[in-house]
Amino acid sequence: MKKRRMYFRMITASLMRRRSRMLAALLSIAIGATVLSGLVTIYYDVPKQLGAQFRNYGANMILTANDEKMSAAEVRKGTDCIDKEDLVGVAPYRYENVRINEFPVVAAATDLSGAQSTSPYWSVDGEWPSAGGELMVGANVAEKFRLKTGGDITVNFTPEDIETGDEPVADNSLNFKITGILDTGGSEEDYVYMSLEDLEALTGRAGNISIAELSVSADSEQLAAYAEKINKTVPAVSARLVKRVTASETTVLTKLQALVLLVTIVVLALTMICVATTMTAVVAERRKEIGLRKAIGASDKSIILEFVGESMLLGFLGGVLGTILGFVFAQEVSVNVFNSSISFRPLLIPITVIASIAVTAVSSLLPIRSATEVDPALVLKGE
Amino acid sequence: MFFRMIRGTLFRQWKKMLMIAFTIALGASLATAMLSVMLDVGDKVNQELKTYGANIKVVPKESSVLSELYEVQDGEASGAYLKEDELGKIKTIFWAFNIVDFAPFVNVNAELDDGTQAVVVGSWFNHHMELPTGEQLDAGIVSMRNWWDLTSGAWLDEQNQTNSNSAMIGQAIAEKQGLSVGDTFHVKGSAGDENFVVVGIFDAGGEEDDEIFVPLNAAQALSDLDGCIDSIEVSALTTPDNELAEKAAKDPSSLTVSQYETWYCTAYVSSICYQIQEVITDSVASPVRQVADSEGAILEKTQLLMVLITILSLIGAALGISNLVTASVMERSREIGLMKAIGAQNSSVSGLVLTEIFITAIVGGVAGFFAGFGFAQIIGRTVFGSSINMRPMVIPLVAVLVVLVTLLGSIPAVRMLLILRPTEVLHGR
Repeated sequence: MKKRRMYFRMITASLMRRRSRMLAALLSIAIGATVLSGLVTIYYDVPKQLGAQFRNYGANMILTANDEKMSAAEVRKGTDCIDKEDLVGVAPYRYENVRINEFPVVAAATDLSGAQSTSPYWSVDGEWPSAGGELMVGANVAEKFRLKTGGDITVNFTPEDIETGDEPVADNSLNFKITGILDTGGSEEDYVYMSLEDLEALTGRAGNISIAELSVSADSEQLAAYAEKINKTVPAVSARLVKRVTASETTVLTKLQALVLLVTIVVLALTMICVATTMTAVVAERRKEIGLRKAIGASDKSIILEFVGESMLLGFLGGVLGTILGFVFAQEVSVNVFNSSISFRPLLIPITVIASIAVTAVSSLLPIRSATEVDPALVLKGE
Repeated sequence: MFFRMIRGTLFRQWKKMLMIAFTIALGASLATAMLSVMLDVGDKVNQELKTYGANIKVVPKESSVLSELYEVQDGEASGAYLKEDELGKIKTIFWAFNIVDFAPFVNVNAELDDGTQAVVVGSWFNHHMELPTGEQLDAGIVSMRNWWDLTSGAWLDEQNQTNSNSAMIGQAIAEKQGLSVGDTFHVKGSAGDENFVVVGIFDAGGEEDDEIFVPLNAAQALSDLDGCIDSIEVSALTTPDNELAEKAAKDPSSLTVSQYETWYCTAYVSSICYQIQEVITDSVASPVRQVADSEGAILEKTQLLMVLITILSLIGAALGISNLVTASVMERSREIGLMKAIGAQNSSVSGLVLTEIFITAIVGGVAGFFAGFGFAQIIGRTVFGSSINMRPMVIPLVAVLVVLVTLLGSIPAVRMLLILRPTEVLHGR
């Protein structure tokens, strides 16, 4: 018991007395540990965070009707198969032919906030419609009819399937306020967009959903699993993956993750070597002390034990410090780059601490070994 | 005498000096590798993002004014076409080097033997071009549709002459028509008919699954459209948009002369579009927002990520180096004390120590630079399958870093050296 107390006293005393040297060594160990915990956290978080960025490409899954009919409820049942956290957005679309100034135009009705999240790349000059009676028009339509944001417009719809006899069919018409002009570089520019409720009011009936776009944050395997699950649970709906988006996302994401992994390994290897050289220098400095101890009768084993214990204590402190700094670093990166906070991985604490203890212990072991082989008389004499 | 002493230290204490050089080399190699990767990662990721396909679409002016709506309504082409012989000009614009790939398309409505209507698309698969600049390029949908899954068969090889009557068909239409690889089918267009051999069946996960893809000339012959194309898809490396680019995209004439020059000479998607319109008669080139915008966002994030990781590793390298430099000087207090005791000036002792360290640092730094370059290449090869371009900018950056870090690392050492009292050191206290 006494012996152990003495041992700890010797270790801590040597750390305290040689404060500035040890602080420098501690700093380098802490930096090493920071790199380890920070980069590993980033490595694990990159796919998730970048995956969210890839959702900029828009929907990666579409739901279509199996037999021409798909109700909003069935779409909802389908989307319920996907974990809430993974589902970035759902936009069910219903298309109808309407008329503006007696010219036919395709009206797309959707859940507008859902469409905003499934198609983040849509560039809207003005605002997205938020209330009823508001309309967003595609750039081509706007050009054709010379429509401006803020203007008013009447949209007509001719009901087809209502029995009216010989009477001419009366048009349904509704007034809209144009809130924005849509520019996508695709065929969306030929449509006008409104909310599902408005289209229902305009057509006078609840229609079927033609297609639903889903933006799901998941890797390709998970996506395929979701698609299968939806196909199984909701027979009326057929879920398909947008291959162009999913296939490319997988390629790019794999490469990026490999890049971060490789960079982590290189940085880690180099910092570990830096820590090792620092420890070697720290030990080599103290050859004289070792010689003195040996001269007054200390065994090699006790010297090695003490020095290794000392460096392990150093490794432990550096590891703890590094874990904290590493998390702070990863958090900074995540906030700056991805605007979202990072999830803390408790498992990283023991891993980082143990790794830094192991590296410091091993890197001090080698120079101590060679130091203990020295003849004390020679060292003390100053040769 | 000064140099003899330095040489003496370097040779007699070579072990210690080697260790310092080694640490500096490690730090320098880390800095070199990270900086090279960081500076090149933008281009590399940009290349990877090309898998999303074209980010610019070129259509005839009339069709864009009449809008695609017209086509949607009756399924007929709008009657306006681009000229096939102008395609090569795309590779002559100011940003020609940034044009990675492009492919022309002509859509023909044709009838199959059983009376079903089908869309036949003529395009380039791996069209070989000899450019006026002497460059050679294989362009076409083999690389621009690389998300296609070939369910059976292979890509159509255009350079093989026997393939002029080959076709690739989508899996949906293949299923409906009961076609498989090697089968021959007959297609009747408005101006001609032809037999095609199926060489590949693909799963595109979209509308293209219902289409038939044939070489450009074969599709043109079907409806007498020699030299005409409907659209061009261009895949270009672009710089993420900023305010200037947004302003220019709306109306290039609203810019001042210097703004215009900056815009024109930057690879914004809008300036590349503008330049394409200049060389292709009566065309409208517009960015495919889905691809162009997302690319910008992802590129920016990746670069920022790499910058931050680089900063972290640079700090790590700097601390490692300065630590060791300090340690190595402190170790020599006895020697320095002796020098001071026999009358050496503070300035000459510091000069001696600093020179020694700098010589070591230069050796270590140069070695580390090349090692780091090697590391960067390993990263480039393993991750992207292509080598990392060396930016000249990295050399001064690493040099400044090494010098600065060594200098900072020697500050505590020199300070100690100045307050060192020879008697105490020599006495052994």
